[in-house]
Amino acid sequence: MKLLRTVAFNLFTWSLVLLIAFPLIWMVLTSLKPQTELFRIPPTWLPQSVTFEHYWRLLTETPFLIYFRNSVVLATATTLFVVTLGTVGAYSLVRFRYRGRETLALLVLFTYLLPSVVLIIPLYLAMVWLGLSNTLMSLVLAHTTFALPYALWLLRSFMEGVPEDLESAALVDGATRMGAFKDIILPQLLPGIISTALFTFILSWNEYLYALVLVNTDSVRPLTTGVMSMLISAFNIEWSLLMAASVMMSVPLIVVFAFLQSYLTRGFGAGGVKG
Amino acid sequence: MGQVTLTDVRKVFGAFTALEGLNIDIAEGEFVALLGPSGCGKSTTLRMLAGLDFPTAGTISIGGRVVNDVPPGKRDIAMVFQSYALYPHMTVAENIAYPLKKRGMPKAERTAAVQKAAATLQLEPLLDRKPRQLSGGQQQRVALGRALVREPKVFLLDEPLSNLDAKLRSYMRAELIELHRRIGKTMVYVTHDQLEAMTMADRIAVMHGGRLQQFDTPAAVYDRPANRFVAGFIGTPSMNLVEGAVRDGTFVFAGQALPLPKDRFGDVPEGPAVLGLRPEDIRLEQGPLQGTLRLVENSGHEQIVTVEVPGGTRLLVRAEAGRPLSMGQSATLAVETARLHLFAPGETGARLGRDPGGAVVEMAPRQSGGAS
Repeated sequence: MKLLRTVAFNLFTWSLVLLIAFPLIWMVLTSLKPQTELFRIPPTWLPQSVTFEHYWRLLTETPFLIYFRNSVVLATATTLFVVTLGTVGAYSLVRFRYRGRETLALLVLFTYLLPSVVLIIPLYLAMVWLGLSNTLMSLVLAHTTFALPYALWLLRSFMEGVPEDLESAALVDGATRMGAFKDIILPQLLPGIISTALFTFILSWNEYLYALVLVNTDSVRPLTTGVMSMLISAFNIEWSLLMAASVMMSVPLIVVFAFLQSYLTRGFGAGGVKG
Repeated sequence: MGQVTLTDVRKVFGAFTALEGLNIDIAEGEFVALLGPSGCGKSTTLRMLAGLDFPTAGTISIGGRVVNDVPPGKRDIAMVFQSYALYPHMTVAENIAYPLKKRGMPKAERTAAVQKAAATLQLEPLLDRKPRQLSGGQQQRVALGRALVREPKVFLLDEPLSNLDAKLRSYMRAELIELHRRIGKTMVYVTHDQLEAMTMADRIAVMHGGRLQQFDTPAAVYDRPANRFVAGFIGTPSMNLVEGAVRDGTFVFAGQALPLPKDRFGDVPEGPAVLGLRPEDIRLEQGPLQGTLRLVENSGHEQIVTVEVPGGTRLLVRAEAGRPLSMGQSATLAVETARLHLFAPGETGARLGRDPGGAVVEMAPRQSGGAS
């Protein structure tokens, strides 16, 4: 009876997993099928002959690598910007008492509530005015504007979890404010910083709308818009290339996530302060 | 070296005055307890001594140097926090070494100093553990170790024992007294637990409502409370405080009259006053007061009896264990008149009359709330 239940539970769970993962699996399988096998009816589940020609074509004949590099630079720079500003801002919001502190925090949240479409035109004009139109930097700034509010709130709640006594103790022990921040607060904040970084990176990596509007030459296009404009035309969709590109777009995220997930949970239970 | 002086210190948070005209002089090597209910300003005082808060007015000096503008790390003080504030990501050894590291001490010396502090507090087997792997008592000792290791002039302790269970607390109390005796450094100890203050401190600063109420030895605070607040705050069970009036050399309340010794209270003008009587200064024997036993609490080594006197006033009386007492029984009360206290009316009404020795301690004018 007990065994039966365990088996039933396992079957149920695995069917859910399969259901959710199916598009991903199909994407990988499609990318490995030769062109001729793609639209065969009935469809083949497993590729009858595995081919890497789409990957090869993507890497050698298309600007995929340029887009990839742009995406890496864009997402990394945005993450750095957002995490740095967010950490410092959250510290200020939590530790310092000044007039309008709460209003400021609410205002930041309010900008997060605005649909990003509303901000595109003003942002575009601002970028032109700054002389940054059609550069990666304009995308970094644009992504920062919509990732920062959420990051600030996320980090603020993490910062609130760091007991003030820890910082006071470090100050009494002879650290400067910056020293206490570096030695004591940052290590405590690490789980929060990592989850914020992850969130920001994914957001920036997958962002499409701003990339479409703010940037229009191949040399600065990120993967999202680059792949789209390259493989989807009015006449034809290059499915196999698109699938191969999608696999290569997702892989870095999956790797980063898998690597950091264990890191995320670690340290959550840590606490030297009794409360 | 380790003297601490607060002169006319005042601290205001927005519209709230946390401290008013605080003057405290702490001698080198002295163990002083700052005692008071929560919100009395004792923790604020300690934080200002540490440099974590800044006085709105007045000066603070440590070791003869005014430290108002000196950052915490340069004041030559160490602090033990109520929460212990151990750095969670560092081992015990790293925690203890941190203040030395921040002072640029070379690694070899640091290790030696950590070993020495660990030996003093029996922490050697724990040096490689993280704080979360320690019990409350062990964390407490690590926090002490971190304070000890740099040999500061002054130790500041903010309710360090309040997170421990009762048994461990009394053990650590003895440890701290022993530690203070051995190292002989100035210690300022914040607590709301009068037992800790009474048993550990050389002098107690009793605080209430942002003001210093009395600053004296535990015996003096207990035997000669400066005002009604101190009288009611110090002592368990607390002192009986009875509202009434002085008339014809007696204290009159609820139709009863208690004769006042002339040598001590002859100069006290007639009018409203508050009588203070400790439970151990009232005896269940032939005497001037009549009452009925309402509650008998036997703790084994003594009995605390609640006696209701006519008019509804209830008095706590300490009686020896084993004496047959039952609720509802009527009794007469004798009072140790040499040990009774009179205060002016009001929450912090000043002490009236002369001390048992005959010396005039205070002849404060009768007014409410006029404590110094």
